[in-house]
Amino acid sequence: MELLIRNGFVYDPINSINGEKMDIAIRDGKFVQKVNEFSARKIDASGMIVMPGGVDIHCHIAGSEVNTGRLLRPEDHFKDFERKTLKTRSGVGRSIPSTFTTGYRYARMGYTTIMNPSMAPLEAKHTHEELNDTPMVDKATYPLLGDWWFVLEYLKDGAIEECARYVAWMMTTTKGYAIKIVNPGGLEAWGSGRNVSCIDDQVPYFGITPREILRGLCKVNKLLNLPHTIHVHTNNLGKPGNYLTALDTMKCVEDLSSEGKPAIHITHCQFCAFKGSNWRSLTSGAEEIAKYVNNHSHVTLDMGQVIFTDTTTMTADGPFQYTLYELTGNKWVNHDVETETSSGIVPFRYRRKSYVNAIQWSIGLELALLIEDPWKIFMTTDHPNGGPFVYYPKIIAWLMSRKAREATVQKINQRARSRSLLPSIDRELSFYEIAIMTRAGQAKALGLVNKGHLSVGADADVAIYNINPETTDPSTKYRTIRKTFRNAAYTIKNGKIAAKNGEILEHVKGATMWLDVQVSDPIKVTEGMKRRFREYWTVEYENYPVTENYLEISHPIAVKADV
Amino acid sequence: MISLHPQKEFVFPIIAEGINPDVFQDKNRGEIEELEIWEGNKQKKLGELFKVKETGTEPQQEDIAIVIYGDLSRVRRIGAWMKGGEITINGNVGMHLGEEMEGGKITVHGSVGGWAGSMMKGGIIEIHGNASHYLGAAYRGSSQGMNGGRIIVHGNVGYEAGAYMRKGLMKIYGSVGQFAGFRMHNGTIYIQKDCEGRVGACMKNGKIVVAGFLESVLPTFTIESIRKKVKIGEDDVAEGPFYRFLGDLTENGNGKLYVLKEENPHLSTYERLL
Amino acid sequence: MPVVKAVPCPVCGSLCDDIELTIENGKIVKVKNGCAMCESKFLSHNSEHRILKPLIKRNGKLIEASFEEAAKKAAEILADANYPILYGWSSTNCEATRVGLELAEEIGGVIDNTAVICHGPSILSVQQVGIPSCTLGQIRHRADLVIYWGSNPWSSHPRHIERYTTFSEGRFQRSTWKRYLLKVKASIVRKKIESALRRVFFKKKPSTPRIGGLPPSMLREGRKLVVVDVRKTKSAEIADYFIQVEPCKDYELLQALRALIRDEEIDVDKVAGVPVENLEEVADLMIKCNFGILFFGVGLTMSEGKMRNIDAALSLVRDLNTRTKFAIMPMRGHFNVTGANTVFTWQTGYPYAVDFSLGYPRYNPGETSIMDILLNKESDATLVVASDPAANFPQKAVEHLVKNPLIVIDPHMNVTAQMADVIFPSAFVGIEESGTAYRMDHVPLPLKKVVNPPRDVLSDEEILRKILSEVRKLKEKKLVEVA
Repeated sequence: MELLIRNGFVYDPINSINGEKMDIAIRDGKFVQKVNEFSARKIDASGMIVMPGGVDIHCHIAGSEVNTGRLLRPEDHFKDFERKTLKTRSGVGRSIPSTFTTGYRYARMGYTTIMNPSMAPLEAKHTHEELNDTPMVDKATYPLLGDWWFVLEYLKDGAIEECARYVAWMMTTTKGYAIKIVNPGGLEAWGSGRNVSCIDDQVPYFGITPREILRGLCKVNKLLNLPHTIHVHTNNLGKPGNYLTALDTMKCVEDLSSEGKPAIHITHCQFCAFKGSNWRSLTSGAEEIAKYVNNHSHVTLDMGQVIFTDTTTMTADGPFQYTLYELTGNKWVNHDVETETSSGIVPFRYRRKSYVNAIQWSIGLELALLIEDPWKIFMTTDHPNGGPFVYYPKIIAWLMSRKAREATVQKINQRARSRSLLPSIDRELSFYEIAIMTRAGQAKALGLVNKGHLSVGADADVAIYNINPETTDPSTKYRTIRKTFRNAAYTIKNGKIAAKNGEILEHVKGATMWLDVQVSDPIKVTEGMKRRFREYWTVEYENYPVTENYLEISHPIAVKADV
Repeated sequence: MISLHPQKEFVFPIIAEGINPDVFQDKNRGEIEELEIWEGNKQKKLGELFKVKETGTEPQQEDIAIVIYGDLSRVRRIGAWMKGGEITINGNVGMHLGEEMEGGKITVHGSVGGWAGSMMKGGIIEIHGNASHYLGAAYRGSSQGMNGGRIIVHGNVGYEAGAYMRKGLMKIYGSVGQFAGFRMHNGTIYIQKDCEGRVGACMKNGKIVVAGFLESVLPTFTIESIRKKVKIGEDDVAEGPFYRFLGDLTENGNGKLYVLKEENPHLSTYERLL
Repeated sequence: MPVVKAVPCPVCGSLCDDIELTIENGKIVKVKNGCAMCESKFLSHNSEHRILKPLIKRNGKLIEASFEEAAKKAAEILADANYPILYGWSSTNCEATRVGLELAEEIGGVIDNTAVICHGPSILSVQQVGIPSCTLGQIRHRADLVIYWGSNPWSSHPRHIERYTTFSEGRFQRSTWKRYLLKVKASIVRKKIESALRRVFFKKKPSTPRIGGLPPSMLREGRKLVVVDVRKTKSAEIADYFIQVEPCKDYELLQALRALIRDEEIDVDKVAGVPVENLEEVADLMIKCNFGILFFGVGLTMSEGKMRNIDAALSLVRDLNTRTKFAIMPMRGHFNVTGANTVFTWQTGYPYAVDFSLGYPRYNPGETSIMDILLNKESDATLVVASDPAANFPQKAVEHLVKNPLIVIDPHMNVTAQMADVIFPSAFVGIEESGTAYRMDHVPLPLKKVVNPPRDVLSDEEILRKILSEVRKLKEKKLVEVA
């Protein structure tokens, strides 16, 4: 099938196209030089913005903890539902939508690629089964490896190459995409009810520090030539004063970057940019973090923006979630996974009038605006932790309009208002910069070669928004911005018109991308290995891997490792 | 006044959120008959299931009164979210009556199903028959129970009456099942007759008065004093003497549980602790 | 003879995955590593009450029919129904459940799984309180205090203790198997002496007095096993400490423990038949352990107080986490009841009792759960997959169930099937059909197809897909007619 998008204002930052009026041609799911003008289906995009489909580097949409979050909160979804139509499946929404609804809602906003950032390897099959039921988007998922006993043991012995071989095995075995590290060392400690307090604290029983884990896995990542960097949720997340931990974490791999390439991604950075010694004296550490990031090229970040709403927090960071339970007294789920990781869930309401929440809200935006290079910081809410992803249009409006920010600043806690840096920041992002922060930059950081741009040969994922950049000033028309980005005029997935003005036209299935990491000397399945397996886990070796038949549409990406 | 009469005996659950004075407001009979209503998995028009009659004055009243006759025990969600007006039901009625209502009055001359007045914020529900389980309770997973208004039941009530209650008054002239006032945060529950037990479990605050027989008080309540009388609501007083217990200790609670001394001689063992 | 290793056992929620099967001429002839339930399932699945052809009831008699015919008949029943129920799902794979949900949505029905009659109350309480839990390996490696409450794993989950808890060997905790052996030997000797004495002196069996205080084994280092139940079960016999709770008083006992771990004083001397002093010791034990785990079974979920018993148990464990590390887990019964809840939840947001009658998922156990619907006589057709409600539901519910058209998909001619209008024979999931199942701790495992099903016998998933496509055909036809 051929498709021709005509006359749109095209924003394609990877190809440095900044609002040029041009046509985009699509054939069989890929961008092509041109198509038959007469027979191709045409979309008149004049007066509209054309961007690559949105990419989300970090959103919890599938797997054990997400699903337990769904189960935990009937009161969260019973008023927000989607009826079955002739084209679509039914479902429920609010902070943790059911799988089909998740896909539809992303598609409506013009998103076509999403990354599920936390998967316990033992429960990887669950994540993939849910991803199969998440339509409209291509997706991938990151296995949690920072507290895996194999990693801790090999790194303690300094056996980096051995560790790399096991990580390669794990990546392929769980059909994962990147190395996810959450509170390195802290999760293993949480298995016995403890935590680590800084990156040089010892992990109980294992004689290793978070610093060694971070550096070790960073080296492994490089040895394996993985497309993305290590994806790190820092120690001490959500604690006052933790911006120092975040800085330490970034610094500790500074020397491991080569040719100015990123070596680490600090995720939902808002949650680890707290300055102050307690909740009362909490202020923003965004300035310090921005300063560091502006002067170094080895770091990328995503925002983890907070939205003032009721949501459900869920991370693999068990001790952090427990603290959150103690703070709120809300219902609490903990789920530790043998040999690998932990996780927790607590419902949470971010309140405008809460000093801490208002500061958090401010930090996220400060980070995005103070970091000069939009290729280094991406827009996320760490869905659903900072708020559900459906609020992205609101964040775009805040980033593009000082007025929008002022309007909200007026409504937040007074003490937070007086301490917020936002009133002193004039920067307003352009559509081009928004395109970087919501797709191009994310795709580049993820090493997704066929996503996030409109070059010939790339996957034909496009979002068209009905707004004229020549006649609309986002600075003043921030409400229009919000409305526009809520429902894309067209969302095109694999060259098919998937959604139009908020209506799902086709239930398109997306592929699951995973890394087929090829090492020269792969792990051999010996009886010894099987025995070790039985000692570490309660399942047999044979039943552990996610075989390829678990992936409805499997899209392996071959990676040639240096080990 | 608008009156509704079922056209037939209902077999499948009927979801009738449309039967609500706010919805009927400014609508004539024809428009009311066109309202959406669900019978099992089939969408119907209200007129298909109910005969709609207008009696008395013109339709555009300030406070609409709806009167329903017949057996509505399968009809659910009548008066949900209503903000004003009046509904009178002559017969039994199904679940979720007046759920999340904010104002107005519902009177039932018959018995009601579960979750009546669940999460209500204001208004009055008066039930002359029995009420089933979860009277004025919260939805699954929610801790926001009844948050205002009044529920009066002249008959008996099932279990978990007033679970997660936060505000308001519940007056029950009959007896109640287990776990009345479960995890209640505030508000008042008065029970004229017997109470099956586990009353006030996990309550944080609020007041529960049992004027009938209560087999045992949970071990996590502690006796505090004996009171001559207890105030119920604005202008009502129950004459005692009552044992006054505080709890629930498990929730560091400050809830007050009053149990009538006269009906419960077996609780006199607690007196040695006073 | 081919031997298949690492086969997950499709019987109970423990889902042991180390079973070795020997296959001869397409038949399982030997089972290694399994418990008695496992062996009997693998060895005898094919022997009795097996249906091999679809059956349709005509003039009160079940008559063999072609698969096409039966599927069409089932589709007609479901497509016409005003309030149909689709029930079962705990003994099939997740793949079948996925199709089941699609079918329920298509026909605007209610879909419910067997959790409703076992751990449904647990789920309702989890939704109110949350649940601090972990995978079973975490317990094997770390737990030094294991409590089974209202559960008798020795007979319901025979290998649970040996694979995952006190008798398993972990990284930080040793197995107490040897200690148990010594204890058993000692008790056999004691019993022998006692019976000899009885024979000599013609005395009646002495009733063992309830001893206050903790037994010496509880003061030892290492892991301990505590059982709380209304009677002394086999599991209670092997336990280091047994607390006998008065029937229907679990709630009071749990709440008392909650108060005690908060260092509160209790006004009464005894709770649920247990002296408060003993409870104080138990509370102390809980606080002082390094990693505790509480398993609870239907003895707690289905006794008086139901979901609120679980509310108290969950709250107790949650509260304990302020003092130490403690986890809690329901002892799920059927091998894939957890999987059914899981698939339900990701597709609809709700774990069981999902009502699609308004075109979107609604959930309210007590209203949209099968038992309530049947008792209220609201349904007008039922499809049962891999379950036997007629054998274990109350009489009144069964009466309504069989009064209306009933479709059964099951390998066996079970009680429900005997009353059905359409019956589809299906393959045994986990023996003749692969797929995914979820262990009680939410660990997904791949079920194996080790032998072929009998000729023409299809899997639950295939049968459901066929019915779904027939329903869609009927609906399309109707749409065309209307147009």
